[in-house]
Amino acid sequence: MKAMYEKNSIDAGDTFNAQQKIDKYRAIYYAGASGDFNPIHIDAEFGKMVGLGGAILQGLCTLGFTADAVTTWIGDPGRLKKIKCRFSLPVKIGDTITIEGLVTEVHEDTGTVVIKVINQNGGDVLTNVQAEVVTK
Amino acid sequence: MAVDKKFVGKTWPTMVYEVGKEKVKEFAKAIKSNNPYYLNDEFASQSKYKTIVAPPTFAVVFGAKLIEPIFMDKELNLNVAMLVHGEQEFEFYTMVKAGDILYSNTRIIGIEHKEKLDVVAIEIMTKNQYNQDVSKGIYTFVVRK
Repeated sequence: MKAMYEKNSIDAGDTFNAQQKIDKYRAIYYAGASGDFNPIHIDAEFGKMVGLGGAILQGLCTLGFTADAVTTWIGDPGRLKKIKCRFSLPVKIGDTITIEGLVTEVHEDTGTVVIKVINQNGGDVLTNVQAEVVTK
Repeated sequence: MAVDKKFVGKTWPTMVYEVGKEKVKEFAKAIKSNNPYYLNDEFASQSKYKTIVAPPTFAVVFGAKLIEPIFMDKELNLNVAMLVHGEQEFEFYTMVKAGDILYSNTRIIGIEHKEKLDVVAIEIMTKNQYNQDVSKGIYTFVVRK
């Protein structure tokens, strides 16, 4: 069973991708799990009132999806050592986000992964997204 | 009003958080993960961790409990209505396992004044019950003026 989930070695040029459709209740599930109940995430009326056009997903949920795309790819989550991002565009309910990772560099046992996270219109919802993983 | 730079270095009391296995699974499901390290007891018991471990970004769960008092801090007086989460950075040192007891300390590490906004950076350092470093989170918030 274990072998199915383990990627043995990571090399420069390796890629992975994942996609998430943001279902109607995602921000509510994430609010419950994370404790982030800011009304801009769970109350569409409030979101409209403050000019967001409705409820928007928690940025950290998008980062959670992104980190999970990395750990799904490498298997053992303990191999993810760093991740960072800038929150650039709001993710709206109903959006589909695509996560594309590319290993740009491997130095000793550490791989640098540059990640693109875009919505269905090609807009970067996260920018400056970078992760470090243990390669073996 | 600008956030006063004198608050760089301000700390808050250590927060203790006990990691519940079902909470870990709830979080993993919220980010739609299928990873058996987080969700499958049998798989997890046979893994090198011997138990369910938390997704790396589970750090936001105990982090949220530390960030809230900062937003409510009367002395710091952040205008939370004008505040957005600008950037996030995590470093992970030791896996978080179900049953762990985590001790987190928060510190303001930077306040910058820009023309139309202030940037406030907060660092959360977390250790476990064995005094091992668990994670570092840097939360960067932007407050529009």
